[in-house]
Amino acid sequence: MHIPDGYLGPTTCGFFYVVMVPIWALASKIVKKTLKAKQVPLLAIGAAFSFVIMMFNVPIPGGTTGHAVGGVLVAILLGPWAACIAITVALVIQALLFGDGGVTAIGANCFNMAFVLPFAGYYIYKVISHNSPVDSNRRVIAAGVAGYIALNIAAALTGFEFGIQSFLHKTAAGQALYCPYGLNVALPAMIGEHALVFGWVEAIVTALVIKYIQKQDPGLITEGRA
Amino acid sequence: MGTLVFLKESVFSDEYASRKGFMQSIDPRFKAVSFFLFILTALFTKSIATSLWLYLLCLMLVCVSKIDLGFFLKRTWIFIPIFSLFIAIPAIFSIVTPGEALVSFKLAGLNFIITRPGLAGGALFVTRVTVSVSFVVLLSITTKHFELLRVLRVFKVPHMFVMVLGMCYRYIYLFVEVVENTYLAVRSRVGRRVHYKKGQRMAAWNMASLWHRSYRLNEAVYNAMLSRGYSGEPAIFNDFKARPRDWVWLACSVVLTFISLNII
Repeated sequence: MHIPDGYLGPTTCGFFYVVMVPIWALASKIVKKTLKAKQVPLLAIGAAFSFVIMMFNVPIPGGTTGHAVGGVLVAILLGPWAACIAITVALVIQALLFGDGGVTAIGANCFNMAFVLPFAGYYIYKVISHNSPVDSNRRVIAAGVAGYIALNIAAALTGFEFGIQSFLHKTAAGQALYCPYGLNVALPAMIGEHALVFGWVEAIVTALVIKYIQKQDPGLITEGRA
Repeated sequence: MGTLVFLKESVFSDEYASRKGFMQSIDPRFKAVSFFLFILTALFTKSIATSLWLYLLCLMLVCVSKIDLGFFLKRTWIFIPIFSLFIAIPAIFSIVTPGEALVSFKLAGLNFIITRPGLAGGALFVTRVTVSVSFVVLLSITTKHFELLRVLRVFKVPHMFVMVLGMCYRYIYLFVEVVENTYLAVRSRVGRRVHYKKGQRMAAWNMASLWHRSYRLNEAVYNAMLSRGYSGEPAIFNDFKARPRDWVWLACSVVLTFISLNII
C-alpha cells in the first residue's frame, strides 16, 4: 500500500501534503496535551513497532506469506492521535532510509495509513467492543473486524488515488503521465487483493496480538491510551 | 529472517556514508534540498529525455561518490522499479492505452497492439519511478542516517517529530535484534516448516511479546532521558556548518533543475 514516487501526479501529492499538515499539527498538539511526560518514549516505541510489524512475514494458505500494516493495532494500544504520529514517523523513516514509499507521496501515504487507517480502525473497534471487559473475546473480535475493514478502506482510498491519475494527467495523444490505470482497474485491483488476502492478514494479526496481550498483560490495552 | 537481514544491512549500514566521496562531502542539508529538487523535477517532467538525463546524473554522482555501481543498481532496481515495470507492461497495449499502433502481433489467437502513447507513457512512468528511487537511495547511502533525520529541522518539521524520529531509529535497531533472535530461537527448536495457522500464532505472539517488552522499557528510557537533562522540551543540536562548496553545489542543482524543466 506504500505509494512510491512517480505514481501520483504533483497535484495529488501537493493536495495530500496540504491536507496532512493541519492533521499533523493537531495530532502534535493533542498528544502533547494528553500524553504524560514519561510516556513520550512510547511514541517512538509505537513508531518502531509499526515499522517492525511490517517486517513480520505472516504465513497464509498456499505456502506464501503476507505482512500486516499494524495501524489499527497501534491505534488500539496508543490511541488514534498518537498512532497518527507514530505511523507517520515509521513511514518517513521507510521513505527516507529504506526507499519504501515515495518522498513526494509521503502526504498521500500518511493520509491513507497514518490517518484513515488508525482512525477508522480505532472507532470501529470502539463501537464493536463498546464497554466490554478488557479480557473479553468481544474485544478480540472487534480488533479483527476493525483491522479488516480499516485496511480495506485505506486500500480503496489508495486505489482511488491511483485511478484518478489517468483523468488528471494525460497528454493530448492519450499518453498517461503517472499511474496509467483508471478507476475501473486500480480500484478493483487494490480492493480485491486486500479484501481477499491482506485484509485477512491484518485481521488475524490484530486479533491475535490483542488476545495475547489480554492473556499476558491486559493493562497494556488501556494503559497506553491513558 | 531474510527481510530482517536485508533491513539491517540496508538501513543500518553507514559503510558508504563513511567513505570520502563527492556526495559524502556535501553538507546533508544542502544534499537533501538538492536531491528533493531533482525528485520534484522527475515528478513534474513530461519528457523521457529529461528523466533519462536525471538518471544519468544520478549514476554519475554514484561513480564520483565511491559507491559500487553494481551494488547501487541492485539496491535501487529491486523491488520498486521492477514492480513498476510489470505494472507498466499491460498499459503499453491498445486495450489500456488506445492510439497510433506501433507494433502488432498475435499470441494464442489474440491480437495485441502496442501503441505509441502506451509505450511512451509506460517508459516515462518506469524512468520517473527509477529516477526518484535512485535519488532517495543515493541520499540515504551517502548520508549518516542520524544526520539525515536531523536535516528534517531544515524543513521546519516540529521538534517532537524530529525527537521521535531519532528515538524510533534506535528502537528499530533494538527491535530488529529482538525479532531476529526470537526467529532464530524458534527455527532452531522447530527445525521444519510449520502449518500456516501455527505460523500465524507464532508471528502474533512475537509481536505481542515485542510490544510487552518494549512498553515496559518505556520507563527506563524516560529515566535515562531525565538523567541526560530532558526537561519536557526536546533540544535538537544543530552543528551543521555550510562551506562554499555546499553553496556551489546547491547553485548548480538549482540551475540543473531549471534547465531540466526548460525554465531557463
